[in-house]
Amino acid sequence: MIFNTPIFFSFFLVFMIFYGLIFVKQKSKVYLIIVASLVFYGAWNYAFIPLLVGSAVADYFIAQAIGNSDNQQHKKRWVTLSLIINLGILALFKYADFVLVSVADILQIFGYQASFDTLGWVLPVGISFYTFQSLSYTIDVYRGEMKPRKGLVEFVAALSFFPQLVAGPILRAKQILPQMHAISLPKWDAVKHGFLLITVGLLKKTGADLLAIPAQKAFEAHENLSTLEVWTGVLAFAGQIYGDFSGYTDMAIGIALLLGFRIPLNFRVPYFAVSPVDFWKRWHISLSGWLKDYLYISLGGNRDGHRTRNVFITMLLGGLWHGAAWTFVAWGAFHGLIITLTHYLSGVKFFAAFNRDNHFLVTFVKWLLTFYLILIGWVFFRATDMESAISILQTMHQFGSETELGANAMTIFIMTSVWVLLVHIMDFYVIKGADKLERKPWLFWFLILLVQSLCMLVGEPSNEFIYFQF
Amino acid sequence: MNDRIVYAKIIFAIALCASTTVAVMHGFLSVVDAKSGGVFSRTTLARDALTQIINEPNDLVIFYGSSMTRAGFSPRKFDKDLKEKGKNIKSFNFGFGGLNPYFQDFLSRRIKDEFQQQDRKLKLAMIEFNPFQTTKTRWNRAVPVVDSFLSMLANDSELLEIAKQDITRGILLFNIKYLRDNLSSEIITSSVGREIFPPYQWEQFKDSEETKNARREISNKVNKLFEEDYPDLNYQDWMYTWQGAGTIPEERSEKTLKAFDVYYPLIQTDAQMKNDRLSRIRSADIEELHFEPLLVESFIQTVKNFQQFSNHVEVIMLPRNTKWISNTPEGKKRLVAAIQQIEKATGVKIRDHQNLDIINPSMFRDTTHLARYRGDVIYTDFLVEQYQDSL
Repeated sequence: MIFNTPIFFSFFLVFMIFYGLIFVKQKSKVYLIIVASLVFYGAWNYAFIPLLVGSAVADYFIAQAIGNSDNQQHKKRWVTLSLIINLGILALFKYADFVLVSVADILQIFGYQASFDTLGWVLPVGISFYTFQSLSYTIDVYRGEMKPRKGLVEFVAALSFFPQLVAGPILRAKQILPQMHAISLPKWDAVKHGFLLITVGLLKKTGADLLAIPAQKAFEAHENLSTLEVWTGVLAFAGQIYGDFSGYTDMAIGIALLLGFRIPLNFRVPYFAVSPVDFWKRWHISLSGWLKDYLYISLGGNRDGHRTRNVFITMLLGGLWHGAAWTFVAWGAFHGLIITLTHYLSGVKFFAAFNRDNHFLVTFVKWLLTFYLILIGWVFFRATDMESAISILQTMHQFGSETELGANAMTIFIMTSVWVLLVHIMDFYVIKGADKLERKPWLFWFLILLVQSLCMLVGEPSNEFIYFQF
Repeated sequence: MNDRIVYAKIIFAIALCASTTVAVMHGFLSVVDAKSGGVFSRTTLARDALTQIINEPNDLVIFYGSSMTRAGFSPRKFDKDLKEKGKNIKSFNFGFGGLNPYFQDFLSRRIKDEFQQQDRKLKLAMIEFNPFQTTKTRWNRAVPVVDSFLSMLANDSELLEIAKQDITRGILLFNIKYLRDNLSSEIITSSVGREIFPPYQWEQFKDSEETKNARREISNKVNKLFEEDYPDLNYQDWMYTWQGAGTIPEERSEKTLKAFDVYYPLIQTDAQMKNDRLSRIRSADIEELHFEPLLVESFIQTVKNFQQFSNHVEVIMLPRNTKWISNTPEGKKRLVAAIQQIEKATGVKIRDHQNLDIINPSMFRDTTHLARYRGDVIYTDFLVEQYQDSL
């Protein structure tokens, strides 16, 4: 069930009637959220509901056990069990086949013939999101950063909360549990902002689906394309993945606001970043925050001169989180490399001065360089295999290519660039000055209705969101 | 109570958004005149004419198939020739460009519904099996229009069946049918896209500028003569008066027919034909013929649908422009296998008219379609000879 489809609209309308008009008590609202979330999740595959609920129940009781114990060793055992359960589920469903195939390939390199029967299991939608979310709870309790909360029902509701269940943002228990414990009445200003975010998300998703066409062409038939067309395709994919993912989370945040919940921002105009480090402060903020707090810090963070190693491991695993393929590993490694390089260069006198310089031209050069590196990274992310990724990178840097330009190549390039830029300007405005628009009710509702109509007219709801697969 | 007011306002706002969206969408569609009738007008007009067809007093014959049927069969000539032989037949051309067997299956169900409701039977159903309309390539190209065609051609119980298997898709199809005037977003996107980026014309082989100018000139002349002769005839639409096709040579002026003598050689230059052949290979896999199982199954179902309300069903393969199109050995094998599968499933022997002696390459307007007033006349004569005894 995708947000921008008639079925979600029908589902949500019925849900709101029950949630707002019929069930007025806190407890009944929580139960209703669970039922709705399980229906929402079950629309993909009902078979995986026990996995989701089981994961929540296990972590709830593990957190209770950690909280009730005074013995550090016992606490450690319990949190280890939580790690085994959550990462085990993830490993089994997401990485088992990848590991088996990779081991066979590696053995083959060393001259051994090996083949393993792969599991071929279907990947449960949103598994990477809810396992990380659930894990953050037990780790926070183990670290003493929060006390275990009473109320299994509230915990299950928080973990399965349908607006953010399948594609994030990854909420921490301390962010969502208190809200689930005392569901607040939505304020009209927040509701208006919710409608604005839903509309913006819808627009971004619609644009992303249109950008998918040149992106797909570039990544699937790049051998026959000119340098400009491949660049257009890579740029289109950058726009597609941003529009798709941030559009989804905008809608998730907007829907949550209508229910009286506040979910933090997950994107902060990421393509305006002026360094790789800056990019990761703006892109998928909930994941980068999670990786920093629970992986990077656990590895030792900046201490003991291991920053480079820890950054690299964190980014490598961050890449792997996105998918079980070497292309994702390469993407993570590439980002680990450029972040490490940025850290290194900030210690070199010339580059440190360059980094501090805020002159417009210098900032532009920093942005250009960063955006170029991000695009290179997306090639690994989107390519079907490493061979294609390298071939695409070669075409991108093959100036004076003899391949004839396709019809409208330049127009499509310009339209793609303008769309990516406009979406970022729109996002910047939504973050910085949405309240100005929300204070003008006529203009506000006119724009909301106009954009929603346009999106419904040309949107392609049969396309799923890219991040569901992670 | 206060709580409920806030939520009621939210629900009202959601409903307002939805209803305004639908209204604006309809407003937009009517302003740009993008009604489903415009996009699929030939198919919908033919479907809507079924009631009138069923009330015809004469025995009924339907020729059902692709654009090759549309171009290759002249119902008015067929009826005229049979009348001279003492048989009163009313035949109709149900040939539709772009209507692959998947869609043909659904349209044939609607034809079946109408005939069975009125307890009427077809004297003869002549169904074209078009191999290159049944390929994977053809299916892949049709995917963007599937939702619109389905919502237009499937009835509510068929949509409900889809919804039972996939609720999301089912609701989407109902939405397209009842709230979007059968126009899926894919159709709108691709229509708008075509306006911004006109379809690329493959022109690997080029004619001289002189030939191009002469072609342009004669095309304009032919169009003008058509308008002068029959101002009400719109060849793009399915028109009852013309039984789903066009005029016959006897109905045209000498001037118009002479113009065609100049017109055909200019649209059949080597460069034009080579480009057309390439485009058929790209768009339909016309020589290799990798069949799409779903389309083969749909074709079988189409034949079965016709069998339920026809006295006699024939499956034919229309003449092929052998000078330009020939199947590869692998393609031939695949074709034989597909034919066997269809014959076995339907119990109907496919009549292969691909290589008729009476048809030569000059009787085609391009690499696949028979030419108007030439190939269609000869082929229709052939059909009269072949099937007069069974009518």
